[in-house]
Amino acid sequence: MNTNSNVYTVIYTTIVVVLVAAILAFVSQKLGPMQAANQKAETISQILTAAQFEDFGNSNAEKIEFYKNNISEVVLVNTEGQQVGNLDCADAQIYSTSELKAQNYNVKDESKDFTIPMYKFNNGITVVPIYGAGLWGPIWGYIAVESDLSTVAGAYFDHESETPGLGGKIKDDPSFRAQFAGKKIDFSDAAPLSIIKGGVPAGKENAVDAITGATMTSKGLSAAIVSWLSALKPAFEAAAPAPVEVAACEEEVELNETEE
Amino acid sequence: MKETFLTPLMKGNPITVLILGICSSLAVTVELKGALVMALSVTIVTGLSSLVCSLIRNTIPNRVRIIIQLVVVSLMVILVDQFLKAFEATYPIDKALSVYIGLIITNCIVMGRIEAYALGNKPIPSLIDGLASGMGYGAILIIVAFVRELLGSGTLFGLRVIPEAFYNAGYVNNGLVILPPFALILLGCIIWVHRSIDKDLQEK
Repeated sequence: MNTNSNVYTVIYTTIVVVLVAAILAFVSQKLGPMQAANQKAETISQILTAAQFEDFGNSNAEKIEFYKNNISEVVLVNTEGQQVGNLDCADAQIYSTSELKAQNYNVKDESKDFTIPMYKFNNGITVVPIYGAGLWGPIWGYIAVESDLSTVAGAYFDHESETPGLGGKIKDDPSFRAQFAGKKIDFSDAAPLSIIKGGVPAGKENAVDAITGATMTSKGLSAAIVSWLSALKPAFEAAAPAPVEVAACEEEVELNETEE
Repeated sequence: MKETFLTPLMKGNPITVLILGICSSLAVTVELKGALVMALSVTIVTGLSSLVCSLIRNTIPNRVRIIIQLVVVSLMVILVDQFLKAFEATYPIDKALSVYIGLIITNCIVMGRIEAYALGNKPIPSLIDGLASGMGYGAILIIVAFVRELLGSGTLFGLRVIPEAFYNAGYVNNGLVILPPFALILLGCIIWVHRSIDKDLQEK
């Protein structure tokens, strides 16, 4: 057979490509649930890290168990700040990154209605997700606020393909993340919480320093935080606790600290 | 048969003699764990790709043979990546290696061995040649990662090996070792040692 004829070449390449595609589709389908379980455990560990928990275990089962023991409720809020539903805590239901991505279109489009989860933990901390675009691909993360819903307790960010050592620092550099702790979300500002290049002015409590050499990633992350927090403004205001509740929660926090 | 296996490990080592796959050997050798997974992944990819390409070597149309090889290599790389993502133990390592698993496709060793060996030899020797090439690459990777993790972080496989007393006495981890240039310096030293042992490799 003449393996150099055009007809043979076209038929041969077609068969090879279809065969390879079929193998990949089959494997992807078979391994999908296992990969999803790993991703879910990873997302849970990111939420827990943002919420200032430590030592929540290494295995997937340990992480999920820890999450179940510490979560009090997960509220789904809409554009008006109303509670439209709950996620099942006993089942450790969370919003995956792809679900955040889907909601990101609704957050950016004011004519659309979104549903964003707010994870409320037993220690009084509430964690909200953010999602946006970095330099090379999507970036997302979790911002944890204290029970007064304005003091930031911590944050965790992740990315798909930012440059390692530069934009990748939003995930890998703990000192970048640590800057967020103690900041105040200020909804009277157009940017309730932002990342500023060239140093945060003294007295400004709702901004952190950008990463050197990663201007675009910092800008993207800042934009993501601003757009998601702004979208959640009605929900934050609706859920802001009455003064009495604040006092009660603060006592709890203090108790936790003395236990340590 | 024995020679097919030993050549890529020593006299034809992909990194120290053919100087292929340098880029990834700088990138993934900061930690032993990552280097080990990378070494295994490359070994599997080179082995299976060589085997498959050798099996179909007489049917491949010559004008599109590089493309067909690339499709086979991509298939293997994506399969390895999918499996790494599926298991709980390898998932975090796969995340840490990020793009470098996918970039095995562009590793010259894989295509190089298919072009140079698998297309002209029977399947079993091709499989052995592919596996041995991967191992030759992996062995260097592990040596480099061992030195870099030990001197750079004071750990091996993430476990602390340099005792706390050393740090108290003023010992500090070497920051340069973590950076890619040191991997290149170390590779140079390994090549130097290799050449001084094996006189056949020295140019006249």
